[in-house]
Amino acid sequence: MVPRLLKNFYGHLRSIGEAIFFLGDIISLIFRGRVRWNDVLDQVYEQGVQSIVIVMLTSFATGTVLGLQGFTTLQRFGAKEFIARLVVLSLLREMSPVFTALIFSGKAGAGITAELGTMNTQDQIQATRVMGVNPIEFLVVPRFLACVLVLPALVIISEVLGMLGGYMIAITQAHMPGAFYIHQTMDAVGFVDFFSGFVKVFFFAIIVGWICCYQGFFTQGGATGVGRFTTKAVAYSYIAVIVSNTVLTKIILTFWG
Amino acid sequence: MIKVEGLYKKLGDQPVLEDITFDVSEGEIISVLGLSGAGKTVLLKHLIGLFRPDQGRVIIDGVDIDSLNEEQLLKVRCNMGYLFQEGALYDFMDVFDNVAFPLREHTSLKPEEIAGRVREVLKLVDLDGVESKFPDELSGGMKKRVGLARAIVLGAKVLLCDEPTSGLDPIRSRDISDLIRHVSQQIGSTTVMTSHDVNNSFRIASRLIIINDCHIAAMGTAEQIKASQVPFVREFLQMSTV
Repeated sequence: MVPRLLKNFYGHLRSIGEAIFFLGDIISLIFRGRVRWNDVLDQVYEQGVQSIVIVMLTSFATGTVLGLQGFTTLQRFGAKEFIARLVVLSLLREMSPVFTALIFSGKAGAGITAELGTMNTQDQIQATRVMGVNPIEFLVVPRFLACVLVLPALVIISEVLGMLGGYMIAITQAHMPGAFYIHQTMDAVGFVDFFSGFVKVFFFAIIVGWICCYQGFFTQGGATGVGRFTTKAVAYSYIAVIVSNTVLTKIILTFWG
Repeated sequence: MIKVEGLYKKLGDQPVLEDITFDVSEGEIISVLGLSGAGKTVLLKHLIGLFRPDQGRVIIDGVDIDSLNEEQLLKVRCNMGYLFQEGALYDFMDVFDNVAFPLREHTSLKPEEIAGRVREVLKLVDLDGVESKFPDELSGGMKKRVGLARAIVLGAKVLLCDEPTSGLDPIRSRDISDLIRHVSQQIGSTTVMTSHDVNNSFRIASRLIIINDCHIAAMGTAEQIKASQVPFVREFLQMSTV
């Protein structure tokens, strides 16, 4: 029992070490300028297309629900004019970065793992190596960089649509003038709100790209393995995004308020 | 050209290869035979540096493969071609792009020169008019031919073929074996292939190596192997309907 536990622990420790070296390889290649920008653009398109519709729908619905709940609660205290503030701050600081990162890891992230995993089980990654090409440079760096470029763009779209959802509720349910709502929104947003969201998104993009590429690159076990590693990639990404969001929120609130 | 000295490899707790020693002269075709799981593919992967030996050395064209780091290995591999069992073609590229890939990566040829070279090697492997097809539109035999074309497109000095006839009918197996011999002679490469296919190995290889129980059970020309008195070799040959 104890030796088995020790063996499992050692196995996990080794995987973590491997994953850290893997990220080191990616970052080192990027800093050495070994980036295939055409492939990055292909991936940006691929990952963007995979996620944009679901992000738009979810964000609009989130903004609408925030607006509705905010209106219902705030009007009890005679403070319905604060709806704009509630919606925009919730979206910029927490909801858009976290929800978009979760959706992105479930759609594009899973796609990355499944694609790389299939390539690995069909020897395509080894074939890249035997043709004298670094597979991390050719297959991983473009996908990783695309995550870092696409996720912030999706978050901006998510924020705009979320605010639009809130605006719609403010106009139709709370009967607020549109100009007032927009003024309240602009008034509520400070640099730290943008900064907080941006830091989080950047961090989430690295985490999702790293976990999904790593799981795909080291997939084993044929078709079953591809399924197993893809599920693992999405689960680990969810956990990592949620846990790191808690830590980042605490850090940001402590230093920037 | 290829020298393997005292190669020992363990995967997990299981030894796979023990004290493997042989060499291959320039232009020679060697076939490595053995049961499934005997370590033939592991041996081949050592020759191209995908595996590092636990003990022993693999020397290719005077260079000890184990002494090179990954970046240096990538450069050495440009002079080598590797044909995978299932071809290992990129499924997101068509046949043309698959074959052109090494040329785009390692040469500064113009697009029309690349196109010419791709057509030339596809003709060499008897494949015409499939440039725009994707791997999932090809039969197993065609995938192997495209894989072979991709392996030799840079003019491989060393050609490694992992079970090139597996999964093919006897006629296609004969054709692909003949093709490997023809291609090796045309580009002047030194070839090592692994196989279960005793008949075709006897036909095209100048020497054969039979691996059993992690060791070399027999090594020599077809005649020497046929005359071997090693019980495993005799049983292996008898079961292979020579």
